[in-house]
Amino acid sequence: MRPYLGLLRMSTRRILTYRLNSLILWIGGATFLAGSLAVWHALLSQGAIGGYDWDQMKAYLLVGWATASIGSAYGDWWMASRIFDGHVATDLTKPLDYQWARFSEHMGGLATEFIAIAIAATAIVTFTGGLVVPGPGQALLFAVSFLLVAPLKFTIAYITTMACFWTQNFMGVSWAKDAVVTLFSGALIPLALLPAWLAGPAAVLPFASITATPAALYLGQATGWEALRLLAVQAAWVLVLWWGARLIWRRALRALTVHGG
Amino acid sequence: MSLVEARGLTKIFRRPEKDPGLRGSLKHLVQRRFKDFRAVDGIDLSIEAGESVAYVGPNGAGKSTTIKLLTGILVPTAGTVRVAGAEPHTDRMVNARNIGVLFGQRTQLWWDLPVRESLALLRDMYDLSPAFYKQRLERLDEVLGLADLLPVVARKLSLGQRMRADLAAALLHQPKIVYLDEPTIGLDISVKDRVRQFLRELRQDGTTLMLTTHDLGDIEDVCERIVIIDEGRKIFDGPLAQMKDRFARVRRMHLQLAEPTPVEKLAERLPDVEVIAGDSPTEVTVTFDRFTHTAGQIIAGVLDVVEVGELHLDEPAIEDVVRKVYAGELLR
Amino acid sequence: MRRTLRIYRRSLGAHLRAVLEYEADFWVLIVAGLLFQVLNLIFLSAVFAHVPALNGWSYPEAVLLAGTYGFVNGLGPLFFEGTWRLAGKINHGELDYPLTRPAPVLVQVVSGGIGLHGVGDLIGGGAMIGWGLAHSDIDWSPARIGGGLLLLASSATILLSLIVVGNAASFWVGGNHPVFAMTLIRTGDMAKYPLSIYGVAVRATFTVLVPYAFISFFPASWLLGKESAWIGLLTPLVALYCVYLARLVFRLGLRRYDSAGH
Repeated sequence: MRPYLGLLRMSTRRILTYRLNSLILWIGGATFLAGSLAVWHALLSQGAIGGYDWDQMKAYLLVGWATASIGSAYGDWWMASRIFDGHVATDLTKPLDYQWARFSEHMGGLATEFIAIAIAATAIVTFTGGLVVPGPGQALLFAVSFLLVAPLKFTIAYITTMACFWTQNFMGVSWAKDAVVTLFSGALIPLALLPAWLAGPAAVLPFASITATPAALYLGQATGWEALRLLAVQAAWVLVLWWGARLIWRRALRALTVHGG
Repeated sequence: MSLVEARGLTKIFRRPEKDPGLRGSLKHLVQRRFKDFRAVDGIDLSIEAGESVAYVGPNGAGKSTTIKLLTGILVPTAGTVRVAGAEPHTDRMVNARNIGVLFGQRTQLWWDLPVRESLALLRDMYDLSPAFYKQRLERLDEVLGLADLLPVVARKLSLGQRMRADLAAALLHQPKIVYLDEPTIGLDISVKDRVRQFLRELRQDGTTLMLTTHDLGDIEDVCERIVIIDEGRKIFDGPLAQMKDRFARVRRMHLQLAEPTPVEKLAERLPDVEVIAGDSPTEVTVTFDRFTHTAGQIIAGVLDVVEVGELHLDEPAIEDVVRKVYAGELLR
Repeated sequence: MRRTLRIYRRSLGAHLRAVLEYEADFWVLIVAGLLFQVLNLIFLSAVFAHVPALNGWSYPEAVLLAGTYGFVNGLGPLFFEGTWRLAGKINHGELDYPLTRPAPVLVQVVSGGIGLHGVGDLIGGGAMIGWGLAHSDIDWSPARIGGGLLLLASSATILLSLIVVGNAASFWVGGNHPVFAMTLIRTGDMAKYPLSIYGVAVRATFTVLVPYAFISFFPASWLLGKESAWIGLLTPLVALYCVYLARLVFRLGLRRYDSAGH
């Protein structure tokens, strides 16, 4: 356990070392949020769309942005670059489980991401006049679901980086992943507003657990048994992807040609 | 006028002075404090066409900075530079056609391109005619063995291959003067020899060379003139032989004695010199200052005690001199 | 100038050949670029399924606007991708060699790479422009066509110049990644929607301070004959100003370059 905590601390410190970089990335993220807010403000000025009024949409966008921020400080790029520059060989000689080690580093970024999310929430409350807040029960459900987003996003990023064993260029893969996740998680637009041919796949893919589930719990759209069912689905995806990643990793090791070596 | 003329060349880097931590960074934003660092401090240097100059000094002495000032990469804080009549940092493009540069630690090849593409790009930048380019490639292939490297992507080259390709890149346009910053760093012996052989041939072709190195073999093999700098200042500039005369005072004589002799007995007869026993009882090494003793005096002294079978004298090694400079012993 | 262009073309060509070596990457990148444009389209179509107009912009008009922004954004990776490596080059002292070569440093930097995802943006953005134009009510004339092309070229020039300005900021900001440039360019993403949905502060900033609005909003407004359409005709002037600014900032930055310290 101790070496993993060490990795976690190291990655927090690394992000803090590059705090100027982090700061500017947050500002970039904030302008994206500001853009979405402006579009929806204009759209909702004539009334609710698909059951979302302005107050709910504000909360939805904040949750969407927050879940998108999770895991962004310690991104898949770091993992990918270690595979490309051949560092993965060094990582493999260490007496650590590779997947747990990367997961620890991923979690190391959370502290700074939470700060960014808190700042964004404060800004929304200040500049747009208030924010819908869930009752204590829903808040608890939301908190659990929000915490599950971290390992879920990790497994997706981790599986994506393994494409590096087969392709020379991670950029395209990473973007394709980002596009798919953005669409099917609900970060682009609430899934209920998607046309049927997209809403169908979104319902069965794991990505809805990233944004749509926490948002539904926050806004109180899912309560009681339905809320628990969503949490169970989320947890199940974490487990399935975690073990799926192990399977792929085993195959990747067989394909391992350390790049540039 | 010399090919390279530098007068009072000075480069001062300004480094921000920050307190540690986030508070320090924020404080620095409000109240900016800087510390000056003199990397090169009033250097005068003239290099004639056809000379080959070794530019030597410990890490951080200002070697690379000087090269960067002479090549136009950095703008001097004070002083003047002329290279073949042009001022490098203002007439950058003119100067660029006259010079070839190699930084041993870094490659100028495009990382994701095959060597052939990198060389072709340089051909376009230097406006080389197809005939000239072909002839240069053939010549460089002869001495550097380029042919098998051409189709390889730069990032897949080994260090030795990379250095060969980089030398070709630096010399493709047949520059008048070539600056080499640690051209043999990290290379194994056989590649090193090949590079040195190549540099010797380059010198014979009449190319002016200036090289910085930590490898003293490079200097003895390639250069006839040596410039030593430390803390940004020149502390010696002259022929290699003269430097040995001036700084290499210590010589070593190895003797094969006719019969085993205790070193104490020899030491008694030879005061002020160091006598050390060799591998066998009949071998000794005598270390002496050649300004206080001659080799003849040493031999005479030993012959007083015992017959000598064979002897040989180590030439003064510049290695010893430079090591002393590095250790700070030779500074005024 | 012709010589500079030739060097630029050859350098870009060499990098193009290099990336084409990896066929799988080629397709992945193009699909990735295309996906982002598809995403924009899905967003707009989902929204316009519920509302008839966004601040006076109809569905085809909004698609035209977003398509223009996407199309122009595809030119960056295709023609100026090397610029994004400037921060790393400054940080590692890798401008040393370019400074010793007889070619403009900016050209060497800008042409030092190619991003094929730009092709996806061009295809996706281009298709959206085409569809948007076909379904919008435009009073076509030779002047309108010529003007439209001129404005498109100008808006591309503005974006490419902004890429240079943002990345040249690395001469001052430091660090290994072009975070400032990323922020600058990603903020521009807000310009894929009609400018009128934003508050007055954003509108002023995007018009005067950083002219994102001239990348898509004002040119499209001119083409569609929206209110204050005439501002769109200023786009070429703004483009010239941006080119001047980019060259100035890069030159000033290069003077600060200290080759990683020693």
